[in-house]
Amino acid sequence: MLRHWYFWVLLPLVFTAAPRANCGAEGPDEAGGSEFDRRVAPLLAAVCLDCHQGPQPEGGLDLSRREAALAGGDSGPPIVAGKPAESLMWQRIESGEMPPKHKLSDSEKQLLRGWIERGARWGADPIDPFRFGTARRAGRDWWSLQPLAQVAVPEVRHADRVRNPIDAFLLQALEAQGLEFSPDAEPRVLVRRLSFDLLGLPPDPEEVERFRRQPTEEAYSQLVDRLLDSPHYGERWGRHWLDVARFGESDGFERNNPRHTLWPYRDWVIQALNEDLPYDQFARWQIAGDVLSGGSADGLAAAGFLVAGVHNTVVGSSESMRRQAREDELEEIVGTLGQTFLGLTFNCGRCHDHKFDPIQQAEYYRLTAAIGGVNHGEREVPSPEAREQLLAVRRELGQLAESIRRLEQPARRQVLEDRQAGRASAPPPPAALAHWEFDGDLRDSIGSLHGKPVAGARLADGALLLDGTGYVETPPLANDLGEKTLEAWVELDNLDQRGGAAISVQTRDGNLFDAIVFGEREARHWMAGSEFFRRTASFEGTEEHRASPQSVHVAIVYQRDGTIRGYRDGVPYGKSYQSAGLRDFSAGTTNVVFGLRHAPPGGNKHLTGKLLRARLYDRALSAEQIAASHASAGGHVTEAELVERLGAEERAERQALRERRKQLLDREQQLAMLEKLRIYTVDSRQPPATYLLHRGNVMDRGEVVEPGGVAAVSGVDAEFHLPPDATDAERRKRLAMWITDRKNGLFARVIVNRVWHYHFGTGLVETPNDLGFNGGRPSHPELLDWLAARLIQDGYRLKPLHRLIVQSTAWRQASAWRADAHRVDAGNRLLWRFSPRRMEAEVVRDSMLQISGRLNPRRGGPGFQDVTITPNNGTTYYDPIDREDEALNRRTVYRFWPRGGRSALLDTFDCPDPSTTAPRRSATTTPLQALSLLNNPLVLRMSDHLGRRLEREAGQPPEAQVERAFDLVYNRPPDDEELRLAAELIRQHGASTLARALFNSNEFVIIE
Amino acid sequence: MLHRRDLFDLSARGLGATALLSLLELDGWLAAAERTTGEAGFPNFAPRARRAVQICLVGGLSHLDSFDYKPELARYHGKSLDSQEQPDIFFGKVGLIRQSDWQFRQRGESGLWISDLFPQVAEVADDLTIIRSMVSDSANHTPALFVANSGFQFNGFPSVGSWLSYGLGSETQSLPTYVVLPDQRGGPNGGASNWSSGFLPAQHQGVVLQGGPQPVRDLFPARELGAGSEAATREFLQRLNERHRQRTGPEQALAARIRSYELAAEMQLSVPEVSDLAGEPESIRRMYGLDQEATADAGRRCLLARRLLEQGVRFVQIYSGGPIAGSPRASWDAHENVLENHSAEAARIDRPVAGLLRDLKQRGMLDDTLVLFTTEFGRTPFTQSEADQVGTGRDHNRYGFSVWMAGAGLRPGISYGTTDEIGWKAADKPVPWHDLHATLLHLFGIDHERLTYYHNGIQRRLTNVHGHVLPLCT
Repeated sequence: MLRHWYFWVLLPLVFTAAPRANCGAEGPDEAGGSEFDRRVAPLLAAVCLDCHQGPQPEGGLDLSRREAALAGGDSGPPIVAGKPAESLMWQRIESGEMPPKHKLSDSEKQLLRGWIERGARWGADPIDPFRFGTARRAGRDWWSLQPLAQVAVPEVRHADRVRNPIDAFLLQALEAQGLEFSPDAEPRVLVRRLSFDLLGLPPDPEEVERFRRQPTEEAYSQLVDRLLDSPHYGERWGRHWLDVARFGESDGFERNNPRHTLWPYRDWVIQALNEDLPYDQFARWQIAGDVLSGGSADGLAAAGFLVAGVHNTVVGSSESMRRQAREDELEEIVGTLGQTFLGLTFNCGRCHDHKFDPIQQAEYYRLTAAIGGVNHGEREVPSPEAREQLLAVRRELGQLAESIRRLEQPARRQVLEDRQAGRASAPPPPAALAHWEFDGDLRDSIGSLHGKPVAGARLADGALLLDGTGYVETPPLANDLGEKTLEAWVELDNLDQRGGAAISVQTRDGNLFDAIVFGEREARHWMAGSEFFRRTASFEGTEEHRASPQSVHVAIVYQRDGTIRGYRDGVPYGKSYQSAGLRDFSAGTTNVVFGLRHAPPGGNKHLTGKLLRARLYDRALSAEQIAASHASAGGHVTEAELVERLGAEERAERQALRERRKQLLDREQQLAMLEKLRIYTVDSRQPPATYLLHRGNVMDRGEVVEPGGVAAVSGVDAEFHLPPDATDAERRKRLAMWITDRKNGLFARVIVNRVWHYHFGTGLVETPNDLGFNGGRPSHPELLDWLAARLIQDGYRLKPLHRLIVQSTAWRQASAWRADAHRVDAGNRLLWRFSPRRMEAEVVRDSMLQISGRLNPRRGGPGFQDVTITPNNGTTYYDPIDREDEALNRRTVYRFWPRGGRSALLDTFDCPDPSTTAPRRSATTTPLQALSLLNNPLVLRMSDHLGRRLEREAGQPPEAQVERAFDLVYNRPPDDEELRLAAELIRQHGASTLARALFNSNEFVIIE
Repeated sequence: MLHRRDLFDLSARGLGATALLSLLELDGWLAAAERTTGEAGFPNFAPRARRAVQICLVGGLSHLDSFDYKPELARYHGKSLDSQEQPDIFFGKVGLIRQSDWQFRQRGESGLWISDLFPQVAEVADDLTIIRSMVSDSANHTPALFVANSGFQFNGFPSVGSWLSYGLGSETQSLPTYVVLPDQRGGPNGGASNWSSGFLPAQHQGVVLQGGPQPVRDLFPARELGAGSEAATREFLQRLNERHRQRTGPEQALAARIRSYELAAEMQLSVPEVSDLAGEPESIRRMYGLDQEATADAGRRCLLARRLLEQGVRFVQIYSGGPIAGSPRASWDAHENVLENHSAEAARIDRPVAGLLRDLKQRGMLDDTLVLFTTEFGRTPFTQSEADQVGTGRDHNRYGFSVWMAGAGLRPGISYGTTDEIGWKAADKPVPWHDLHATLLHLFGIDHERLTYYHNGIQRRLTNVHGHVLPLCT
């Protein structure tokens, strides 16, 4: 009844207001729009429509449609045209009661008041909230969504500084502020900057010298070409892309399982960049490479992009939990796609229309429908060619083994016979509690302490191979252990390792242990390791000089009175000492580990090398017994013994055979992987129906949504025109086409800005993943559009874009600070100089490796692993390990990159954890960073290597070493004072001390 | 005073403001090296807390056996859950209801009910503010730990300590702002992701302080260097950098790096100094339980926490419980036997935690120090066993559990919120983590809606789009 009454009162208004609205506005024109469309509607949409629209609006009032708005809700009609004071709507706004959450500014209030006063004329009906932007949000008129503008290269006063159009655009803005470019950087600085920028590595000193002598435009241009052709270019720029692609080699979440098969994606990115694959194709392959390529290894690898992010593998059992996990997964992918390729945060549309950009909630679900068939998975790509080659390699390896055996046999027999003869009078070896021969198995040949391999421990050639992560453990001892003797025959991989153990008796938690430890306290020395060094003192034995293939025998005897004695090769090692007392080990909780100082694994506790044999005794052996045990060394013939009995020719032949075998073993490993290459990639399934979810609630499904794009992106059709049962392949192909369409200016703008960001440190838009309302505004909009158009003209190839940028005057400016310019533009947004930049984490590490001569150039394949991986029922721990190992000295981009598996050095230099896309990195300067660069084991090792390199290459006097050091680290000679100081430092403390100081210096870490 | 958020509003109006913003971004150069005041405008109002220590019980403390007295459980003991609703619990085995294995008593003048599981903590009941109606988004350890730390179930979001560091800066330049003290038995599920700074700059992440000669990673050289080499290196480096700076001009980045090396040297002195407990009197050591094997680990860390807080560290996290899995359990995850597990775990921390409270109080520090005692979720009133049995273990329960706070102007000796009669689900005034976080920031004088950081299109907050400050202050 009441409703009727309202209707009658309202009637005149409808009749009077509506015709006036129609004739008052000059008809809705898309370009200009009426006052209502341009200003009032967006404001209503921003602050009122959250509550006042839809089937059940607050207070019954729907403000999104004219008729409903004028009809009003429970409190009556809100608007009396021409009379704000009598309008309920104005009264509530004026009092501040409405809107309850968003505070209106005075001008916004006046806008609404004025609109009512002028007759409350309506425009597009229903309100199109996204047509025009406001001070609060972007509409479809947002700058980045428009087609690329046709821009002319401007004329400038300082035309002499214009090397290419980039300079003209920048100079125009500078000159408007009364500024100009800084002078060109000096040639040395320029080559250095260029090398770090394009390759992420310091330049070859000779390259610097060549350009310094002849710094012509042509020479520069050739230099740029050479660097862009270097395979290191892809490694450097690939790393940038991997940041954006949130490339991580573990699942994240609860289990955080490692992904050992995602590296093909990393390799594909690097290779694609090196080959200058056109960027539109680069994008298409990452969105749909698996289906575009018909399932080729490359296509599958490329599509790894979609699933390079986190993956929840513990989703719970209920329907709502499963749906929730799936929706989270889709949001992760849609969000990354949008931010990566279009600079839009689609993901903000999951629960409601995007609050800042013209993206409707329904459009968000259209996008999830487009990738609804994407699942995390692994595919195996068999390669018949690799299989064939592998068989051949294995055949040859078999033949080689036989040849080597035949060649060695006479000498080997001879050694054993000699020994047999000499041993006739020797006492029999003492009886042991346990004996491990490691010949094909890990069995204890006396008792039942059979070993079990963990991680990378494996058997080969009659020995236990320890790679620095693996170890072997036995079951618990059946009896208590008091006095004891530990004995091991070891081949050390290298003599610089610090802290690994050959054999250790420990409580299983590792809190208590006695172990034969190498190099922990004193480099190259054996010691009796124990918890907190409680029973450890120096034997003051000789320095170890035998690394693999030579083996050494070590034994440690623990007496009841606390005396601890060491033996090496059967004779006393240094002197014995009195420890704090013997530690008893209890049955049941004690076991033996090989290759690990004590549990838990990690840190410096691992030995790298081979264990040939080990014995454990439940008593303290005498010196005679140790000697006997050593003498009985049995069938193992040492390398030295063998080589001694070979003729020169035989030695050479054997050497050749062994080298060939080493090559083939490497090759075998590669081929075995390629034969059935496993690739972590999209598991493509038929997509189920996609529903719009009210408020994002997985249990509150709305209408079914078809795959499609976002209408606000201009130039391309957001309709995919696909049937509801379209396959995953069809959907993603359409999605890839929509994103990479030549008419999609946003797609080109985003990548051009991203590339600019990495070259200059800040993008033309300073938020490379967000060209929407919340992102930055372009500092040079015309330049951005010009570059985007140029990229398209160049067939989306990135190398011409790099060339253009690094050849510009802007990029080649000196970095010196200028007071005049700083006053006007302290942030250097106008680019009056090249902003000095701190090296990224990877550049710091890679440069130290390169300069010290230790960079392992190996490219591609599974990453090097500088963490231990400890699965622990349901979760995975990644702990950093550090050791001298060529395999770890590869470029950082090849690091196995688990989530949460951080590295102290990379961490403090702001290397992001790959949990989400990281379009920008911070560049912090902190005390912890200083400490890491001073003290990290890697830095110390590389300092030592560089020190040795200086001594080797420059020799005496120290001044020569200083010259060489400055050339390698700074690409310049030292001045007199520097020379004096640095030479003095070498004289007092050695060349490695100078190396460490230089690695820590500002001139090294800050790129000018 | 301008805040980042205002800047974004301004930035719509032109380049000037954007340039200003980029200036602020660039001050990352100077972060931690010079700036100690945090973000401009923070705190927003007079803070009650200047520093905080959080004791995190990993695995899920049974509120039913500690801080949430449910006499009805005795009545229902051995009965099945009288509910149509199938509980969506972690392992899916719903046994019969079990009463608590501990005696509950009213404590102190406040009369707060606390069980005999924590006899020492019970003695300081009058200082506690117990929340008995916590709820969490997840019943899985790792995501639940992430929610407790960052408000989100996912990796990549800054933890509470990082937000505090970002907003308020540090009181000391020679110690990290946010220090983490993990259980001797190992790190919690999710490891370092729990104290990650997420998208905030790296200087805001939690720094693990361990025992031994290298309390902070890379604090000292990984191997011994020759005598005098360290000092000579420093001096040479300084002179080299100074010459370089003379050539290049007044570059902030260079000055900041030089300063960071000075601060690093200070840290090398102050970290061992603060970690060295030898100077603490015997009475204090006993107070924290350093003299007992069971309490030595937690005692050492509680005492260390007090010393760190005294020296100006903003936020210290003490973990009770290591990795979840394994046998015997090294955390509070009492699936098998609550009586055994919780007895052992409580014996490790009861005295140290009570000692910490008493010590803070006697030093007058409790007035402006916030103590938090939290766990990622609670445990179920029914046992994890066959449907017709009263088992000995309890499963995860995210629908209701207890945490407590103390100090920092909170109303002491009260409880807030309730669970239902059997302690399964929060009944009165449910408190999600967002509310606890909002309250925590509030105590630090921060409006949780104003502490934001731009990340990939969104002004991110600790409390996302949620959070209400709880009425717990005096």
